Amino acid sequence: MRYLLLTILLLITQLTYAEEPSIALANAKVNLHDIKSIERGAKFFATNCMMCHTLVYLRYDTVAHDAGITYEKMPINVKAWPNGIKPPDMSNETNVRGPDWVYTFLHSFYLDSKRPTGFNNLLIPNTSMPSMLTPYQGQLVLAKDVKESIPIFGAKVQWFDVLEQQSTGIMSPDQFDATMRDVVNFLAYAADPYHEQQVHLGIWVIGFLLILCVLLYLLKKEYWKDIENDDEN
Amino acid sequence: MAQDTKQNQIFAWFTARYPIVEFNQKHISGYYAPKNFNFWYYFGSFSLLVLLNQIITGIWLAMEYTPTADAAFSSVQHIMRDVRFGWLLRFMHTTGASAFFIVVYLHMYRALIYGSYQKPRELLWLIGMLIYLTLLLEAFTGYVLPWGQMSFWGAEVITSFASAIPIVGKYVMIWLRGDYNISGVTLHRFFSLHVIAVPLVLLGLVFVHLVALHYVGSNNPDGIDIKKKKNKKGHPLDGIPFHPYYTLKDLAGAGIFLIVFSCVLFFAPKMGGFFLESNNYLPANPLQTPEHIAPVWYMTPFYAILRAVPNKLLGLVAMATAIAFMFVLPWLDRSPVRSIRYKGMWSKIAITEFVICFISLGYLGVQPVSPLRSAMAQIFAIGYFLFFLLMPIYTSYEKTKSPPERVTG
Repeated sequence: MRYLLLTILLLITQLTYAEEPSIALANAKVNLHDIKSIERGAKFFATNCMMCHTLVYLRYDTVAHDAGITYEKMPINVKAWPNGIKPPDMSNETNVRGPDWVYTFLHSFYLDSKRPTGFNNLLIPNTSMPSMLTPYQGQLVLAKDVKESIPIFGAKVQWFDVLEQQSTGIMSPDQFDATMRDVVNFLAYAADPYHEQQVHLGIWVIGFLLILCVLLYLLKKEYWKDIENDDEN
Repeated sequence: MAQDTKQNQIFAWFTARYPIVEFNQKHISGYYAPKNFNFWYYFGSFSLLVLLNQIITGIWLAMEYTPTADAAFSSVQHIMRDVRFGWLLRFMHTTGASAFFIVVYLHMYRALIYGSYQKPRELLWLIGMLIYLTLLLEAFTGYVLPWGQMSFWGAEVITSFASAIPIVGKYVMIWLRGDYNISGVTLHRFFSLHVIAVPLVLLGLVFVHLVALHYVGSNNPDGIDIKKKKNKKGHPLDGIPFHPYYTLKDLAGAGIFLIVFSCVLFFAPKMGGFFLESNNYLPANPLQTPEHIAPVWYMTPFYAILRAVPNKLLGLVAMATAIAFMFVLPWLDRSPVRSIRYKGMWSKIAITEFVICFISLGYLGVQPVSPLRSAMAQIFAIGYFLFFLLMPIYTSYEKTKSPPERVTG
C-alpha cells in the first residue's frame, strides 16, 4: 500500500514537470554576485518594466542595502562633519519642528561671509547646513537686523520682511514657494504616513459611535422609565 | 422541553460548584445604588473602560516593541509605519494614558465635592489614592519606553530625585537606574515593570477598590445614607439595582466618552504636544540635553510644587507632602455633612480655590522656569496646602444646611 502511494506520488510529480520547452534554453549566466549587473538591471526594470509590472515584495531599502549602499557607508556616516554635527534624519522632522518651521527654514538662508559655508539662516543662526537651495531661490541678503525688528507687541516679522533678494535663481519666487511646499508636504507625509488612513477610519468610527450612542440612549431611557418617582420599585 | 431540562441540569451543575447566582445577587442585579447619580458618577466606570483599553492595546504593542536602547525607538517607528494598524494601537494607548488621568482626576474631584471619602468610605478613598500612585508609576515607566529625548531626560530628571535623599541618595538612584546613568538597563527594567509588575498591582488594587465599594455602598450627590430608608423587601427606597439601570446608563455614557476619545485619537492624537511631546520624536541622546524638560501634563501640578521650592530635598519633601495630604483627606474634613450641596460657604470657596491652584500648578509645571512663574508657582503651592491645612477649621466652624431625608434627584 505504502509503495503504491509512493509510486502515484512520483508519477504525479513527473506529470507536473512534463511540459518540455520546444527548443533548448539559452544560458542566462545569472550571477547574483555581480552587483553592477543587478544595479543596471534594476535601473532598466524601473524605467521600462515597472509601468506595468510590480515587485510588491521587494523592499527598496533592501535593494539599496544589497547594492552596497549601507547606512555605514553613506556620506552621512563616513564624512568628517564640522564639529561632529551630522545632518539629522528627516523621518520625523515635521513632528519635531512642525511643517511651518521646516518651510520657513528652507526659505530663510542668506549670504554671510563670516560663515564657512558663506551662508547663514534666520531660524538656526550659524547653522552648519550649506544653502543647497540658493541656486533655485537666488541669493538673499540680510536687509534689517532681526533683533531690532522684533516688536514688543504684535506679530513677529516674517522672513521676507528681513531678507532681500540680491540675485534671481533658476526658479521664480512663486515656483520656489510651490516647490518648497511640495517638499514640506512630502516630509509631513513621511513623518505620518498613516495619516490618510487615520482620518478616513476616524470618520467611520465616529459615525458608527454616534448611531450606537442614540441606540444606547434609547435603551437606557426605556429601562429608566420605571424609576421616575417610583418608591416601591 | 428536554433541551430545557438539559440546560437546567448544566446550570445546576455549575451553580453547585460556583457562586454565580450569589455573585449576581450581591454585586450586579442585587447591588442597590442610589438613584440620583449625576454626570460626575460616570468616571469610575470610564476608568475601568480605559484600563481595559490600555491592557488590550498594551498586549499588542508589546508584541512588536523591543526594549533595548539600540532598537526601542526604531521599533516604535516600526509599529507606527509598518505594522498594520500599528499607529491605531499606539495612539489608542497614548491617548488612553492621558484619558486615564483625565477620568481619574474627575473621579477624584467627584469624591471631593460630594464627600465620598468620609466615614465609612475612608478606606475606599485610601485604596483609590494607592491606585492613583500606582497609575503615576505606570505612566512614568511607560513614558520611558519610546526612548525619545523626553523619555530619556524625563527619566533622568525623575530618577535623580532619589539623589536628594541624604547620605544614601546616590546609591538609591543607581539602584533604581541599574546603572550610573539612564541606559538600556534602565529601559529594560522599566519595560518589565510597565508590562508586568505595575499592572498586576493596579489590577489587584482595582479589585480591592470595588470590593470595598460594594461593602460600604456608593455615596451620592446628596451625601446621605440611602440604607436608612428601606421598603418591605429590605431594599433602599432611593436605591435601584445596578443592573440593568446603571449598566445601561454607564454604557450610554461610555458611547459619548468613546466619541470624545475618538475625536482625539483620530484627529489630534498629539494634542498640541500635551499628549505626545514633539521632542519625543527625536531618539534619546545622552549627550544632548533638551532646552526644556517637562513631564507629561498629568504629573505637572506636583512637578510645579517641586520646582517652587529652591532646595532640591525640601522640594521633594513638599511634593511628597502634597500627595500625602490627599491621603489623609478623610481625617481633615470635620464637617457633619458630606456633600458640597449642604456644606457652608467656606467649603465652597476652599474647593474653588483648590481647583484654581491645582490647574494653575499644572500649567506652570509645563512651562519653562522664569522668576515670575516661580513666584506664581509658590503662591499656588501655598494655596494648595492651605486647602488641606485649614480644612479642619473651616469644616468645623462653618454653618451647614441640613441634608434632606431622601435623595433629591
